Amino acid sequence: MNTTPPSEHDIHAYVDGHLDGPRRGEVERYLARHPDEADEVQGWRQDAQQLRAMLAGDLTDMPASLDPAGIRARARHRHAVRWATAASLLLCLIVGGLGGWAARGMGTGNAPMADAMQAYRLLALDHGVGMDITTGNEGDLRAWLSGRVGSNVRLPDLADAGFRPMGGRLFATDQGPAAMVLYDDGNGHMVSFYVRPPGPARHLLPRGSREDSGLLANYWSDGGHNYAVVAMADQAGRLAAERVVGRSI
Amino acid sequence: MSDPGIDETLRTMLPRLRRFALWLARDSSAADDLVQSTIERALTKWHTRRDDLSLRAWLFSILYRLFLDGKRRAGRYARLLGSLSHEEASWPSAERVATAHSTLAAFAGLPVEQRSLLIWITVEGMSYQEVADILQVPIGTVMSRLSRARRTLRRLGEGEVRPPSLRLLK
Repeated sequence: MNTTPPSEHDIHAYVDGHLDGPRRGEVERYLARHPDEADEVQGWRQDAQQLRAMLAGDLTDMPASLDPAGIRARARHRHAVRWATAASLLLCLIVGGLGGWAARGMGTGNAPMADAMQAYRLLALDHGVGMDITTGNEGDLRAWLSGRVGSNVRLPDLADAGFRPMGGRLFATDQGPAAMVLYDDGNGHMVSFYVRPPGPARHLLPRGSREDSGLLANYWSDGGHNYAVVAMADQAGRLAAERVVGRSI
Repeated sequence: MSDPGIDETLRTMLPRLRRFALWLARDSSAADDLVQSTIERALTKWHTRRDDLSLRAWLFSILYRLFLDGKRRAGRYARLLGSLSHEEASWPSAERVATAHSTLAAFAGLPVEQRSLLIWITVEGMSYQEVADILQVPIGTVMSRLSRARRTLRRLGEGEVRPPSLRLLK
């Protein structure tokens, strides 16, 4: 007679009703001779039956929100929204990138007559040290200018505005020689009058003004030259520049 | 399989998934969230499903893993907050457990894995191989864990040991 106990697998399979034929008979015969184990297995079968019966009630009431078709549709919608968001972000990037590319160089183009301001910084702040010609005589300055920058350059007469010329200096630019004439009102206010050939591609300037690092530049074009009047961007400088500009246009 | 075909197949599994989720999460709205996430994942991963795994084993394993991930995350969060209280403090159908059969109360008090094992094997009638696939352990391990689960259920059901979570019930 076979007295080897059935395997754990066979015991469970017996409890769960997965065991057929001779092996089922074997387990039953074994349990018949081992009442303690038979009791345990019987308990397991009871528990299993009760669990099945009691949990059967949990199979009802399916919320509509769990229907796969609805979940699929919602997921698809979310997906679409996500794609739309990604697409609009991409569009923003493209527009921004193209705009940035198109606007490249605009920054430098938007700083007209930067050389005039540079020249003012160089000379006016040192009160005229390092000038090529130092004279208060407007006739001499006019002759000096016409010989070097152009004969049609009109030097403004600012005597009645209180400004007297101090002298001038030449600068080299990519387009040819530029000249700056410095004016002084005797109270420490200085205004520069700057003239140079137009920029690349005969770039003439619309009338305008801008401020940069404490300096104020008014600029315009006339008779094939670009002009700038530069002064300190304070109250007195503004007033002085206004007068010079008014006189020279 | 076409989309409506997949939906229909999933629909037939819904009640079983939800029952399992209810007994895992022990909170009906958490269970619904769990089932919904399971369906979402099943829909996106449908075509990557392994053929050797039965559909129901696959779905149950998705749900089981989502639940364990969520629990792990909640546990981390609780530790982060310095909370000493342990999980599973609330069990909304408390009255149901308290008044129902002692077997049901005992079942509710089992650890998650034992509860899952008994639902899969006893209630859903899944094969030991399917359960081994879900848990990714050898069949022998499933057998010994099943013995432990059945003994614990028996012991708790006969009132030998009251699990701490049930003592919290009023």
